[in-house]
Amino acid sequence: MTASIEEQYLEAFSALAPQGDPAWLLARRRMARDIFAAAGFPHRRVEAWRYTDLRRALAKEGYVPAQRYDGPLAYDVETVGPGAAAFGDVERHMLVCVNGFFRPDLSSADLPDGVSIKPLSEAVKETGFEDFLTTDDNLHPVNALNSALMQDGLVIRVEAGKDAGKPLHMVHVTTSAGASAAHMRHVIALEEDAKLCLLETHLGQGGAGYLANHVTETHLGEGAALTHIKLQDEAKDALHVAANNLRLAANAKYYGFVLALGARLSRHETDAVFKGEGAHADMHGALALRGKQLGDISTYVDHAVPGCSSNAHVKSVLDEEATGVFQGRVLVAKDAQKTDGRQLSNALLLSRDAGMNAKPELEIYADDVQCAHGSTIGELDGTALFYLRSRGIDEATARSLLIRAFLDEVLETIPLDGVKQDIGSQIDVWFRASALAGSETR
Amino acid sequence: MLEIKDLHVNVDGKEILKGITLSVGTGEVHAIMGPNGSGKSTLSYVLSGREGYEITKGEILYKGKDLRAMEIEERAAAGLFLAFQYPIEIPGVTTMTFLKTALNAQRKARGEEELDAVKFLRLVREKAGPLNVSEDMLKRPLNVGFSGGEKKRAEILQMALLEPSLAVLDETDSGLDIDALKVVSDGVNALRSPDRSMIVITHYQRLLNHIVPDKVHVLSAGRIVRTGGKELAHELEETGYADIVEA
Repeated sequence: MTASIEEQYLEAFSALAPQGDPAWLLARRRMARDIFAAAGFPHRRVEAWRYTDLRRALAKEGYVPAQRYDGPLAYDVETVGPGAAAFGDVERHMLVCVNGFFRPDLSSADLPDGVSIKPLSEAVKETGFEDFLTTDDNLHPVNALNSALMQDGLVIRVEAGKDAGKPLHMVHVTTSAGASAAHMRHVIALEEDAKLCLLETHLGQGGAGYLANHVTETHLGEGAALTHIKLQDEAKDALHVAANNLRLAANAKYYGFVLALGARLSRHETDAVFKGEGAHADMHGALALRGKQLGDISTYVDHAVPGCSSNAHVKSVLDEEATGVFQGRVLVAKDAQKTDGRQLSNALLLSRDAGMNAKPELEIYADDVQCAHGSTIGELDGTALFYLRSRGIDEATARSLLIRAFLDEVLETIPLDGVKQDIGSQIDVWFRASALAGSETR
Repeated sequence: MLEIKDLHVNVDGKEILKGITLSVGTGEVHAIMGPNGSGKSTLSYVLSGREGYEITKGEILYKGKDLRAMEIEERAAAGLFLAFQYPIEIPGVTTMTFLKTALNAQRKARGEEELDAVKFLRLVREKAGPLNVSEDMLKRPLNVGFSGGEKKRAEILQMALLEPSLAVLDETDSGLDIDALKVVSDGVNALRSPDRSMIVITHYQRLLNHIVPDKVHVLSAGRIVRTGGKELAHELEETGYADIVEA
């Protein structure tokens, strides 16, 4: 009998025996490995992954562990990635990871007062660190796989009352050209009233078919505020699977935004749990995809306590044969009165072969709540296009103006002007590449 | 400026224009009047190149060139302008950005230098003042939340900036009260010049009290059934379309 892809995968990674793991971590890894072996990679018969068949996407390649790379990079991560400049004009601190390992030598050393950064491999040796790893491996087989195989990651802590000031910018680069896989686990912990802005970019080279798997454990203390903006521009054949587990104490504020441009298949999932009253979470995003790309932005929000609000708004622009996915659930517990929970997906299909799957759901057990969910799927407005062209604007520019206009509503929510402009120009670059590809095939 | 010869146009397989012949000389203002459904708006869309309007017979020469061979944006760059009956709302694109993109796209297409931000701003302010187009309107998304009058004033501002050779005004008077009508028609009259031709499409004569045409054509069921001087508009006002259409 041939081994399943899960058995093959675990076998390929069996040589990864991290040295010096504390006993609790070894035990957790064993348990997580068993959970994953039993559940397997998620596929379309698993409801939360119904439209994003990871198992099928993985079946093609024999993945091997990503190798640590300590050499110089072919480009300057501070200014230009393989695609385009990312946050190049924003003043920030750099935190660079290559092939799934933190590279302190490429990162900023002068961190703001009250902010500490450690690689995961060191942080796990601290007493009590396991309390930060609250992901429930039973609920999510990919997270279980991550718990079993995680090697490195960034542990970022901000002390009570401190404002980290300039954004921290995590850059994840994969240099491997083959089917390597990296499982990173990050922890972002803000104590009471702490403030942080975290930027993330994910980059790869050419047509590399690697798997980048990230699990981020985000803990926001009372009154803490995190702004978290991510640009996913992985190599075009890569797989990118990220889960953001968010715990919010009373009056904490989270603003999240993701722009997904890269990867053959990508998923950005946010699982938010409100632990204290008066907290708020924004989980916005945009997909701009073409070719046969699939992009998934999913949000699961647990309104476990009263008086919290959540808002997820995803806009998708899909060209050629690309597929977009939005799944979302807002769960409102029986006692969670005065909850305000919103989910909205708007998709713009630029081609007849593009598709969008949107499934926003509400599950409400309280009776005094405001909840709304909706989904729209449409195409570019031909009348608007005609209007712009009748004023002398060429078709490609007119289309890009209308696409930008469509995305503007979510882009406008980004609270930092420089970052907002940069995300906007990434979309313009994407559009120009799309227009060029289109004119070649027409 | 414009020569239309025996123009037949189908929309969704149905013939809407059934042999229009019309000649508009340089500097002339022609009015096209007619009841609803006579094909007035179809004519304006065919001239601007909108998709879905199929020319089955006849020809349109603009400045001696075959208009059919030109893309929508090429026609605009060559000086053709259509003021829309219902200007389109475009959320997310400010009026200012739109105006600058349009003007510079046309200048570029004509091989002229694009205007920088300072020069452009000066030009817009100069043109916007007489049309009562406020700074606030310029900062708002194009036509979004504009009143009927504001939309029409914004159309005329576009015309003033783009300085077309041939302007087609499609029911520019619709939805305007008397004060707004005055502002809009003053704006149009200010743009009259020996180098610029206009086609004013309207159902009612009242606009033609303000914008006085050189010639009036009556369109009915896809054909021009009568042509005359400006007095024809007054005649129509008194007798209505019924007599002429039947005649």
